Amino acid sequence: MTKRSTTHATFVIERDFKAAPAKVFDAFANPQSKAKWFGGPEEWEKSNHKLDFRVGGKESVSGGPPGGTVHHYNAEYWDIVPNERIVSSYEMHMDKTRISVSLASMEFKQNGAGTTFVLTEQGIFLDGYDDAGERERGTRELLDQLETYLNK
Amino acid sequence: MTTIAHATIVMERTYNAAPARVFHAWADAEAKARWSAPTPNVAIKYEAADFREGGRDVVRCIEPDQADYVATVHYLDLRTDRRIVFAEEVSNGAARVSAALISIELTPKGAGTHLLLTMQIASFDGADMEQGYQFGWGAALDNLANEF
Repeated sequence: MTKRSTTHATFVIERDFKAAPAKVFDAFANPQSKAKWFGGPEEWEKSNHKLDFRVGGKESVSGGPPGGTVHHYNAEYWDIVPNERIVSSYEMHMDKTRISVSLASMEFKQNGAGTTFVLTEQGIFLDGYDDAGERERGTRELLDQLETYLNK
Repeated sequence: MTTIAHATIVMERTYNAAPARVFHAWADAEAKARWSAPTPNVAIKYEAADFREGGRDVVRCIEPDQADYVATVHYLDLRTDRRIVFAEEVSNGAARVSAALISIELTPKGAGTHLLLTMQIASFDGADMEQGYQFGWGAALDNLANEF
């Protein structure tokens, strides 16, 4: 029998973007915009990004290094306030193993001409496959990709 | 301007019943409607119940002279007799008041079961849901003992 373990953790990342809240929000809400930055590192193979951005709507994407473990992201949207707030839950699988479930809250606040973006992730890491430190590091890299996209 | 308040609440109980019976009390909507009402004047009505990974419950919490609270539950990770993980969203009338990620872990303890409940909560626009969760689930877990 697999050893079951359940580790809870919360992390918060705050970023200031030069882009206005409407543009930052669009990078999450618009499937064409989101596909441009949301995913693993450049060298990963990525497939099937699907985004149904509405309350109750779902999102999924898979990716991984060529020939390696495939990472699957499946999300559901619970609350959306245009240009201000997004709340979703998501689960991550590595191949067929569920490694975590998380509640992600995103807040978009006007800051001069730009945006203060606050992401709070309340996560449960399952059976020792991943941990909050690793997830926070990966999430910071994703937000770097978002910033590069916003500055283009 | 919208705001979100985050909180984590942990509760523990020990029950005089094996993990399989405790798990069943969470899996069976009829049992759950009985024990999850925090006070006798609150009625819990399951409008949908589908206890499996990917399944969804819609739970109406009816209290006299108040707008109903309605929770939409989405089951994310189920391990028979061991673990239940779900996300939920709670609305009160037309207002969405919170989203939460909730885990229940069951561990054998002698002939009984140790239950660990962890709630990670995001409540919206000043809704005092941390207190609501604290009171509601605290009372529900006490009631659950009466099932055994």
